[in-house]
Amino acid sequence: MSQLSLKRLEKSFNEARIIKGIDLDVSEGEFVVFVGPSGCGKSTLLRMIAGLEDVSAGEIEIGGNIVNDLPPVQRGIAMVFQSYALYPHMSVYENIAFPLRVEKLPQAEVDNRVQAAAKVLQLESRLQHRPGQLSGGQRQRVAIGRAIVRQPKIFLFDEPLSNLDAALRSEMRIELMELHKRLGSTMIYVTHDQIEAMTMADKIVVLNAGEIAQIGSPLELYHKPDNLFVAGFIGSPKMNFINGRVRAANGTTVTVDLGKLGTIELPRSSTEVAGQDVTIGIRPEHLTLGSGEFIIETTPNIVEHLGIHTIGYATLPGGENFIGLFEGNPDLEDGKPMKVGFDIAQTHLFDARGLAVY
Amino acid sequence: MTSTRSATLFALALLAPALLYILTIVAYPLVDTIILSFTNASLRPGYDFIGWANYERIFGAGNFTEVIIRTFVWTFFSVSLKMIIGMLGAVLLNAAIPGQALFRILTMPPWIVPMAIGIFMWGWMYNGQFGMISGLLQNFGITDGPIAWLAYGETAFWATIITDVWIGVPMVTIYFLAAMQSIPRDLHEAAWTDGAGRFYRFRRITVPLMVPAIITMSLLSLIATFNSFDIIWILTQGGPSGSTTTMIIDTYKTAMGSRRYGEGAARAVVISLFVTAFCIVYFRAVRKLQQGEAK
Repeated sequence: MSQLSLKRLEKSFNEARIIKGIDLDVSEGEFVVFVGPSGCGKSTLLRMIAGLEDVSAGEIEIGGNIVNDLPPVQRGIAMVFQSYALYPHMSVYENIAFPLRVEKLPQAEVDNRVQAAAKVLQLESRLQHRPGQLSGGQRQRVAIGRAIVRQPKIFLFDEPLSNLDAALRSEMRIELMELHKRLGSTMIYVTHDQIEAMTMADKIVVLNAGEIAQIGSPLELYHKPDNLFVAGFIGSPKMNFINGRVRAANGTTVTVDLGKLGTIELPRSSTEVAGQDVTIGIRPEHLTLGSGEFIIETTPNIVEHLGIHTIGYATLPGGENFIGLFEGNPDLEDGKPMKVGFDIAQTHLFDARGLAVY
Repeated sequence: MTSTRSATLFALALLAPALLYILTIVAYPLVDTIILSFTNASLRPGYDFIGWANYERIFGAGNFTEVIIRTFVWTFFSVSLKMIIGMLGAVLLNAAIPGQALFRILTMPPWIVPMAIGIFMWGWMYNGQFGMISGLLQNFGITDGPIAWLAYGETAFWATIITDVWIGVPMVTIYFLAAMQSIPRDLHEAAWTDGAGRFYRFRRITVPLMVPAIITMSLLSLIATFNSFDIIWILTQGGPSGSTTTMIIDTYKTAMGSRRYGEGAARAVVISLFVTAFCIVYFRAVRKLQQGEAK
């Protein structure tokens, strides 16, 4: 049974429609990540689920009850804020205990729960400190502790790692995943960082301009993006796009004219794309030097040597940026022509509207 | 060596205008007053140094201690009311209500209206024969006859406090409002998601985080209120029978009313000592608060 479900959910601020009809089901114990560029509405959506923003239209159901008009505390959620929102004048202990104090739980119970949370989060030695005396990672843990003690059905995280430096971020990412495993609770996590989304999520919801661009597991989104937006958003470096025109579509094969790069034949059953301007997509990591079913000749203008990888940046005759990611340290130099190839099976095709053609 | 010296001279040259200004309008009158307080200066030409005689006189006989106590009581009630009403005002102005901007503007008149005009307005309102307060109370049948609020010691004491509060509240309100708005919104949202209602949040988040602002404002208000002269002077001139005579009024009456400049100066010096003490407390508090913030 789904624990959270959003039905035709909408949000407008005056004239501006921020969330444009979202339908989503989240099952118990799932780790769901809302990802998208800034301004896509992901934080607003999370705040609507939390009860911090009113719903303009549609329904939010948690555990089978419509919670549109319920205050946050009655929704069975706990939220971790981007800024951590710790109370600077209270000790770590009192920060974590805050929700329990509001509930007026007996001191013994408060103590039990705070100590348990502190143990999980390795904060036992910090309980008497003020938030100002803690490092960024510890503050983050206090904020999570405050959510844990409420024993919520759903945890909501609003870009919780964005204030941490890169090293700490990947550390906290792993901690959060372990926490999810241990607690088994449903977690909804907002981020603009697709790496966070790919590494943590059971299910990713890609948002674009207030609409869902695609829902799927990380690998589904990676291998079968529904549209150009998702194809470009998921994956790093970003997928290469080459513009072309369909010369023929006979029901088994689509023949695309890529201009100076030649003609490519893709196994697709669609006939609707005949004559359309389309886009071919190929991921930088799917390119190989010198071999492949389709070969492109180009010259890199910048080469980055990362040891484990080498990345070459080039511009195609049609003006498109073209990136190749190769394992190890191949013979690649700025200004020296290279031949890169790829397999037809790993090529994506998007029609004139930007939708994937399979 | 030379370069350090010229740097010092240059710094002094830059400071000179400000130093000159302070010496002329602060240091000179202060020193002059202290000197005067050891003399028997009056309207008669010339004066003699009489040592501690003025101080012995004001502390030895008469009602000076009574005046000091009255000043503290008057100041205590006035400052407390300003803080409480100012806080309430800030809470109301901070609430998301329609016409918020209008209400914010409406709090300003007591502060903007020239003080003397505001005080005269209150003087009329307190009037027994044609005053608004007395009239309203009679119309509603709360009092039987007219009450001249400034004619009795007890009522005059409170009337002057109320007027002082009326004039002082806008600044406190605006200051508290600014402090309230500097509290991150996230803190309130986090507490609200945890089920904390308005009053709970006010008690456990807003007030504790406003402590620096409350301390700062209380001390500043204390210093200003302690020396509040115009309100009392215009309304009651310290009367009836001394019931609203605070230290500053007392000093003025002695020096300007009775023309006993030497003794008036001695009373002024005592005021200065109190205010200096308040200032020391204020600066210490500010330093402590800043250190607390830095932690």
